[in-house]
Amino acid sequence: MSFSTLKIGAAMVAALTLSACGESPQSDSKTAYDDASAQQVVNHYADIALATFSDALEGAKAMQRANQALLDAPSAGTLNAARDAWRTARVPYMQTEVFRFGNAIVDEWEVQVNAWPLDEGLIDYVGNDYQAALGNAGATANIIANTSLRVGEEDLDLTKITPELLAGLNELAGSEANVATGFHAIEFLLWGQDTHGTNAGAGERPATDFSLNTQLATGGHNARRRDYLTAVTDLLVSDLEAMVAQWKPDSDNYREALISDTAENGLRKIFFGMGSLSLGELAGQRMKVALEAHSPEDEHDCFSDNTHASHFYNQQGIVNVYLGSYRRVDGSVLTGPSLSALVAEQDAALDEKLKTHLLASTFAMQALVDSAEQHQIYFDQLIAPGNDSGAQLVRAAINALVTQTGDIERAAEALRIKGLNPDTAGQDF
Amino acid sequence: MRDVLKSRLTIVIALLSASLGIISCSLPRQDVLSDLAQYTYLPAYGQWLESNVTLTDHTKQFCQTPTDTSAQSSKAIERLRNAFYSAQSQWSLMQPLLVGPMSEGNKSWQVQFYPDKRNLVARQTETLLDKMPTLTPQQLSEESVVVQGLTAFEYILFDESIDLAQPSKKKRYCPLLMAIAEHQRALTEDLQQQWLTPTSGMAAQLSQFPNDRYLDQNEALADALLIQISAIDNLKKKLGAPLGRLSRGAPQPYLSEAWRSGRSLSNMLATLNGAREIWTGSNGQLGVRSLINDRELSHKIDQAYDVTQAQLKGFQQPLFQLVTQSDTSALDALYESFDALHRIHHNELAQSLNIQIGFNAADGD
Repeated sequence: MSFSTLKIGAAMVAALTLSACGESPQSDSKTAYDDASAQQVVNHYADIALATFSDALEGAKAMQRANQALLDAPSAGTLNAARDAWRTARVPYMQTEVFRFGNAIVDEWEVQVNAWPLDEGLIDYVGNDYQAALGNAGATANIIANTSLRVGEEDLDLTKITPELLAGLNELAGSEANVATGFHAIEFLLWGQDTHGTNAGAGERPATDFSLNTQLATGGHNARRRDYLTAVTDLLVSDLEAMVAQWKPDSDNYREALISDTAENGLRKIFFGMGSLSLGELAGQRMKVALEAHSPEDEHDCFSDNTHASHFYNQQGIVNVYLGSYRRVDGSVLTGPSLSALVAEQDAALDEKLKTHLLASTFAMQALVDSAEQHQIYFDQLIAPGNDSGAQLVRAAINALVTQTGDIERAAEALRIKGLNPDTAGQDF
Repeated sequence: MRDVLKSRLTIVIALLSASLGIISCSLPRQDVLSDLAQYTYLPAYGQWLESNVTLTDHTKQFCQTPTDTSAQSSKAIERLRNAFYSAQSQWSLMQPLLVGPMSEGNKSWQVQFYPDKRNLVARQTETLLDKMPTLTPQQLSEESVVVQGLTAFEYILFDESIDLAQPSKKKRYCPLLMAIAEHQRALTEDLQQQWLTPTSGMAAQLSQFPNDRYLDQNEALADALLIQISAIDNLKKKLGAPLGRLSRGAPQPYLSEAWRSGRSLSNMLATLNGAREIWTGSNGQLGVRSLINDRELSHKIDQAYDVTQAQLKGFQQPLFQLVTQSDTSALDALYESFDALHRIHHNELAQSLNIQIGFNAADGD
C-alpha cells in the first residue's frame, strides 16, 4: 500500500462529490447576511409601516371632517372638497398595501377597508344597466332605501345605520362583491356610479343627494344616505386606528411578534409583500383583467377615476420598502437600514438592477398619471376596445412590474430566502 | 506508519462505498426535460390542436347544415357539445403544461376567461353580436378576450337563455361560434409551431442549454415546475371559491369553472392528469420523479396523486349542485387533498430539487 494509492482514493472521493450529483445547485445552510443587520431592516420596515399607516389614518380623519362639512352644508363646493379629501387620503393608504400580503393580519383586516370591485347596488340606487356578480343575493339590496333585508331565512334589521351594522353587512352572504364598508363604499357615496363605461367621465352624484331640503333633495332616502356616509367613514377611521396600534413599538402587538421572530421570516414577509403586490395584485388583478376584458368595472377606483394615482402609490410603497425610505405626508423623509443595502452586500449588481427596474416601473406608472392629469385620458379610457396606444401604456406598466418581480425573486434568492409563500413562512428551508 | 495509512484508507473506502450505497446519483435534469418535451409536452400540444380542429369542423357542420326537425337539431347540438367537451377537457389537461409561449401575453385568457365574477361573458357576447352580426375571426381577434374563447362558446351552447334549436338563435350565434372555433384552432396551431421550431422552439429550449430562454437546465426545470405547481394551486381556487372557502363558508356556485356545461370536476381531473405526467413522464419516458432520490418522498407524491384522482372520480353530480348541498364533506376532503398535493410540490419537492418556486401570477386577491 503506497501513499499514492491513498491519494488516488481521496481523489476518487472528491471526484464523486463533485460530479454526477453535482448537477443541482447545492444548498448552503449558512445565512447570506448578518443577522443583526437583517433584524434592523425588519425593525425599520415596521417603522415605515407605522409611519405610513399613521399618515393614512390622518388622511382618513381629514376626510371625516370634509364629509361632515358636506353633510353640514351640501353643495358642489363641499362635495368637491370631500372628494379631494378622499383622493388625498388614498396617497398614504395605497403605500400601505405593500404590507398587506406578507402580513396576514393586514390582509385579513383589509377586507373591511379596501375591498373591490363591489356590487354597489347593495348600498344605494343604481342605473338600469347595472351588472352585478352572478348569484349575488345582495346585489340590489339597497341598504340606504331599506330598513330591513331578508337574506335566506333571516330578516336583518337595518333601521339604524351604524359602523357595527355596516361591518356586519360587509361580504353579506359570503359574496366578496357585497362591499358595505371601506374606501370604495365611501367613493361610491361621494361619486356615484360611473355610467360612462370606457368613455370620458367619472361618477356624477349631485351634492343634493345629501340634502335634507325637500325642495332640493335628490336620490331619495337622504337622511339614511347621510347616516351611511357618517357611519362608514367613522368605521374606516377606527379600523385605521386599530392598524396603527398594531405597528407601534414596545407594545404587545403584531410588530412585537414580527420583530421577535427570526430575521429570515421577517425578510420573507417583506419580499412576499413586495412580489405579490407587484405581480399578482397590481399587474394582474388591477390592470391585466381590466385591460384584457376591457372591463371598467374591474378598474380599481372605478367611481372616481382615480385609478392612475392608486396604481402609482402602490408602486411607491414597493419602492419605499426596498429602499427603506418613506416620504411622509408632511414632507419629512423617514430613512433607515434598508433591504437594498442587505442585497447589495451579497450582489451589488443585482441591487442596482432591481433599483433600475423599480424606477422603470415608477416611470411606467407616471405615464398613467400623466395621461390622466395632463391629457384627461383616464385609466378606464386607456382600456377601451380599439384604444391601441392606451393599451400600450397599460401593457408597458404591466411588463415593468413583471420585470421588477423577477428581480425581487432574485434578490430573495441572493439572501437565500426560500419559499416565498406566506403559508410556508416559518418552515425551515 | 503503514498501519495508520492503511486504516485511513480503509476508512476512505468505507466512506466511499457508503456514499455510493446511499446516494444513487440522479439522472441529469437535461435528460428529463428533453424527454418531457418530446413525450409529454409535444404530444399534448398536438392533441390540443387536434381537439380544436375537430371543434372547428363540427361547428362548421352545425352552422352550415340546415336542421329540419327538432330531433335532427338536438342531435346536431349534442355532437357540437361533445366536440366542445373534448376541447375543454384537453385545455384543462394543458394547464400544468403551459410553460413557455402560452404563459406569455395573456394567451390563456383567450382560451378561457375564469373566474367571470360579473358575468362579463353574457354582456360582452350580446353587445358584440348586436354590433357585428356578421363577425369574422379576424374581427374577433381584436375584441376582448372574454368573447374569444371557450367561456363564450360555452355560454352560447349551454346558457338557459339560448336555444340553438331555434333557427333565429342559430343564425345569431353561429358567426361567433365559428369565429371562436377558428380563433382557438389558429392559436393552438401557432403554439405548436412555437414548440416545434428547430433550435429556437420551446422543445429545443427545454433540451439544449444555454439558450435564449434559459441559462441552464435548473432554470428550465424551475420554470416548468412553477407552471405545474401553479396549476395545482389553481385547482384549490377552482374548488375553494365555489365551496365558500373564500367567502365565510357561503357557497358560490357561479364561481365554479365551467358551471354552464357542468364539467367542473371532470376538468379538474384532466388538470390533475396533466400535472401527473410532468411527475412521472409519459409512456415510460423520464419525468421529474426520476430526479428524486428520496423514495419516501416519491412514494408520498405518488400516493397523493392516487388519492386525489380517486376522489375526483367518485363524484356523480356537477360541482354547481354539490356545493349547495348540506353535506359537502366529500368536497372538503377533496380540497384537503389538493392542498396536500400543492404543499408537497411547493415545499418538499422544490426543496428536494433545491429550486426556488417564484411568484405565482395568480397571487393577490
